[in-house]
Amino acid sequence: MRPTSALTALCGLLLSTNSFVCAGSTSSSSTVTLPSDFKPAQVFKNTNLVRNTNLEKSYLRETINVVVENVDKQAQSDYYLALPSDLYNKVGVLEVRDKSAPEQGRLDVQATEVDTSRDYQYFIVRFSKPLAPKAHITLGISYSVLNSFSPRPAAIKQMDRQYLTYSFSAYAPSAYTTVTQKTKLKLPSTNVPDYTTTDLKSSADPERLGTTYTYGPYDTAKIAPGTSYPIIVRYEFTKPVITASLLERDLEVSHWGGNLATEERYWLRNNGSELLDHFSRVEWTLSSYQQLPSSSIRELKYPLKPGSVDPYFIDDIGNVSTSRYRPGKVPSRDASLELRPRFPIFGGWNYSFRIGWNNDLSAFLRRAVGSADSYVLKVPFIEGPKVSEGVQYEKVVVRVILPEGSRNVRWETLEKASSNGLPSASQIQAQLSDHKTFMDTLGRTALTLTVDGLTDEACDSQIVVTYEYSLWDGLRKPVAITAGLFTVFVAAWAVGNLDVSIKKR
Amino acid sequence: MAESSLNVLLKGNTGRNTRGLLRIIILGTIAAAAVSSRLFSVIRFESIIHEFDPWFNFRATKYLVQHGFYSFWDWFDDRTWHPLGRVTGGTLYPGLMVTSGVIYHILRFLTIPVDIRNICVLLAPGFSGLTALAMYFLTCEMSTSPSAGLLAAAFMGIVPGYISRSVAGSYDNEAIAIFLLVFTFFLWIKAVKNGSIMWGALTALFYGYMVSAWGGYVFITNLIPLHVFVLLCMGRYSSRIYISYTTWYALGTLASMQIPFVGFLPIRNSDHMSALGIFGLLQLVAFADFVRGFIPGKHFQRLLTTMIIVVFGVALVGLVVLTVSGVIAPWSGRFYSLWDTGYAKIHIPIIASVSEHQPTAWPAFFFDLNFLIWLFPAGVYMCFRDLKDEHVFVIIYSVLASYFAGVMVRLMLTLTPIVCVAAALALSTILDTYVLATPGPNPKAKVVEDASSEPLRSARKPDVGVTSYLSKMVVTSSVVVYLLLFVAHCTWVTSNAYSSPSVVLASRMPDGSQHIIDDYREAYYWLRQNTPHNAKVMSWWDYGYQIGGMADRPTLVDNNTWNNTHIATVGKAMSSREEVSYPILRQHDVDYVLVVFGGLLGYSGDDINKFLWMVRIAEGIWPDEVKERDFFTARGEYRVDDQATPTMRNSLMYKMSYYNYHTMFQGGQAVDRVRGAKLPAEGPQLSTLEEAFTSENWIIRIYKVKDLDNLNRDHGNAVAFDRGHKRKRATKKKGPRVLRTE
Repeated sequence: MRPTSALTALCGLLLSTNSFVCAGSTSSSSTVTLPSDFKPAQVFKNTNLVRNTNLEKSYLRETINVVVENVDKQAQSDYYLALPSDLYNKVGVLEVRDKSAPEQGRLDVQATEVDTSRDYQYFIVRFSKPLAPKAHITLGISYSVLNSFSPRPAAIKQMDRQYLTYSFSAYAPSAYTTVTQKTKLKLPSTNVPDYTTTDLKSSADPERLGTTYTYGPYDTAKIAPGTSYPIIVRYEFTKPVITASLLERDLEVSHWGGNLATEERYWLRNNGSELLDHFSRVEWTLSSYQQLPSSSIRELKYPLKPGSVDPYFIDDIGNVSTSRYRPGKVPSRDASLELRPRFPIFGGWNYSFRIGWNNDLSAFLRRAVGSADSYVLKVPFIEGPKVSEGVQYEKVVVRVILPEGSRNVRWETLEKASSNGLPSASQIQAQLSDHKTFMDTLGRTALTLTVDGLTDEACDSQIVVTYEYSLWDGLRKPVAITAGLFTVFVAAWAVGNLDVSIKKR
Repeated sequence: MAESSLNVLLKGNTGRNTRGLLRIIILGTIAAAAVSSRLFSVIRFESIIHEFDPWFNFRATKYLVQHGFYSFWDWFDDRTWHPLGRVTGGTLYPGLMVTSGVIYHILRFLTIPVDIRNICVLLAPGFSGLTALAMYFLTCEMSTSPSAGLLAAAFMGIVPGYISRSVAGSYDNEAIAIFLLVFTFFLWIKAVKNGSIMWGALTALFYGYMVSAWGGYVFITNLIPLHVFVLLCMGRYSSRIYISYTTWYALGTLASMQIPFVGFLPIRNSDHMSALGIFGLLQLVAFADFVRGFIPGKHFQRLLTTMIIVVFGVALVGLVVLTVSGVIAPWSGRFYSLWDTGYAKIHIPIIASVSEHQPTAWPAFFFDLNFLIWLFPAGVYMCFRDLKDEHVFVIIYSVLASYFAGVMVRLMLTLTPIVCVAAALALSTILDTYVLATPGPNPKAKVVEDASSEPLRSARKPDVGVTSYLSKMVVTSSVVVYLLLFVAHCTWVTSNAYSSPSVVLASRMPDGSQHIIDDYREAYYWLRQNTPHNAKVMSWWDYGYQIGGMADRPTLVDNNTWNNTHIATVGKAMSSREEVSYPILRQHDVDYVLVVFGGLLGYSGDDINKFLWMVRIAEGIWPDEVKERDFFTARGEYRVDDQATPTMRNSLMYKMSYYNYHTMFQGGQAVDRVRGAKLPAEGPQLSTLEEAFTSENWIIRIYKVKDLDNLNRDHGNAVAFDRGHKRKRATKKKGPRVLRTE
């Protein structure tokens, strides 16, 4: 019998069975299927809608503040939020709040099954209490959309400026009639070579003020919901469009070592304009000498918690020697890991790498009040590099590896008065599994959280994981190793005592 | 009181135990020293695979770990030698990879998460610790002195001649092969001494392992028969030799034939014929020995003579016939180059182009072995004094290995173990003689003692002679000084000469801090991340394994060099004009061409310096199209500046190396820092390739092969058109040149 399996069996007998409880908010998480010719009943009216579209980062951030009135005779609680089909799948984190009571947290939002035959897809916003007839509610709808800009021209020379285009409708997408509405565009620079002008209102449209372009206000009471008026803006964005097609993040908790080890694996891509000619080292040397702006990723500054130690930056073929680490000061000043990829990452280029570091566990782990064996772990959901142009994450997999034998794992995200950048807990897929490493007998409890479409706005978000972990769990490994070695010695002694000689001694 | 307890510890049964424990501790320390002295590169750089061949072994190991043993065994690799591919599973020695794979799976079974790369990096140091142990056992068989084994183990642990092939990261076959070599010899000596089937079988087992690990197994295959042959000639035939040799040969040959790469070589290749011949001879000798017991002497003499003549004649005729008919392969080229150092340069330039196949320079012996090299002959002499079977082995090994080490640099490796044995024998004899020497039975003293009167002062306490404290002190202290110097030398050599990964270069910043030049990995990683997975990369064969390992892209040629013509094709493409090269590149589906250029940094191991080998190898296949002479100026110089020959300047390699290089100098004159040459102001023009990537220090330059022109022009015209030149009329009349005067 193999020693470890024997040990596993032994330990299994000694232990009470591990019960994993994975409790986030287990509210309605499944999507609703709507009929293909679905049209929301016209029970609401948007009296006023202001849309703030922010194009300053490499992903789209939009905030829609809308005053909604119930025009039906009954109280209503389901507000359908329409989004164009091409946008719907790219929406990262959507959050709807009641503007009059933002501290109550976000409203429950349910996604619907995508039906490609429709022009619009819907989210269903459920009010906390039904809205009485004639009553008003002000909704603050904010969401980010990934990969919403396309570079034009699609290929540029190495030293050229990069331009992005964004196309949208002058009329904000809505399932209900909107009385007045306007759209404020916030652009990253004043260099806007092309933008659509409209004749939808008497004065000049859009109104320009610095980098802010305002379309509207329009009087759209007569215009049917779902009408679109295409608008394209093309603006300079000589910065990389940093996209992580996948981020895997492991947080490993060690009670024995008092250590929280973090490792992140990035698959980065620059979604900007591709190089028209090939890469020229001469031009690159000149432009980096003169510190000219470039659409390539030259360096990523990665802030780390104060007290982070042993950072590393490696990729598939070993250590990347072009990184620098500036340790912070323990109470306040952040440490900074300056990552320079092996080569500048131009549009269309990829770069995958991994970084990791260690932290003192005491800053993240507390014993739960009232229970000796219960622990509370509070860690950032993602951290990520800090860059002014923003980072979009197409998929994020966070794995919290708890000590061996942890039970009753519960987790939640921390909500704040404003958006924390994370989707609601029901949209985070959670899974518990075993992770065997470093001579584990049972395997460690690993909580895997998967989210699609995050942006670096989620950098400050925190998750809280509570679990139970007894003293015996901590002693399991030394006991197992001792027993294993003992077995080896006994086996060696037994084998040594066997007499296999042919002749008689 | 203290003295008596010390006596208890050092004498009798407890004493033996104490000494045994001490010996274990010393051996453990030696192994630890052997391991740690090989870690310079890990500490200075990182845990990285070194140089060229290790990258292939590493890649193969990863394949083994990922796909399992059987698919590794049947591995056909279509990502090398495009478009031929390579039957990798059948053309490698799998011992190294399987060893790492086994270690990996054991660690995985214990759920210790170790990266396969770290196993590969640390395999060689780990096995060097084992080599030190094996060396201890081997030397203990040679000498009764307990110190000889320990000394030999210590020498083996840190001697640069062995460290050169076994630093951390040098993941090559030699990493485990030297351990196997030494251990197989130990087992063989054990077998010869005891005449035991068990030891003979163990020898065969480890010989099989050795065959699976390194092509140098042929050394064992020839050395053991030679040992037996010499013993026979010395009239030392015994049943011990018969048992051990026949056991080893039968089992060992079977074991070696299990390796696909070896296959039927042991019975079909001339390199292995001596072992077979000695096997037959031994049977005859044994038969003769058996017969002698029954037949009277005179008849026996006659029988013996006829038998010898007949058998020898039949064997010779058989060998010649089989060789001529091709059943037995003639000696391989590498083998010939062992006897004639000029052979390779004329007949197989590809072997001669490898620096480690060059003859050894004399200082290298001292560099790699330090004071062991002058203790070595003394040790061999010691073996003559006490000529047992095992000492004969040492002598034969010394003679053969000395010769081979002189012929080829890399064979210094096989010399090193025996130098350690011999040197340890010599040194331990010196130490034993001087440290343990007691005043022998002095006849004068005896007389005096008998008289029981006052002994003579000189007799009682000798002030001079070998037993005096003075001489003991002088000898031991000088030995200690030599040993200390040896350790210092080994550390210095290891640290300075053998611990550079060569993938990563180190330099110093003005403030003295270390600056790492990482161009290779920069470019390889660029290839890996930003080119299609099946983009074919052409480069000179030196970089084939690295591209396969780090960039994970198919290559045309690599360090395996099994197909000379294919390499020559690459050489031709590199050394010809673009118009000639482009069709070659197209025919081989080449997407990217990679060259190494050290001109900016002064990195001398670049492709322009290797260029002549490319030319020579290409010339070997296409003597009419590529001519080495054309690359030299009329005065016989190899130049790259404006004096360079037109052939040189039009060659693809030259163009790729210097393309756009002058623009880096912003109007100043471009300088090649390796060759100290000022380059022409006008840089070369490329029409069929375009620059795709150049690393930070220009060491690696990658070019993309252009697709066919959309308008069906040839690339030269297309580029000229783009540049705004008028198209030259093809039918331009060439009148006589007229001197223009204005």
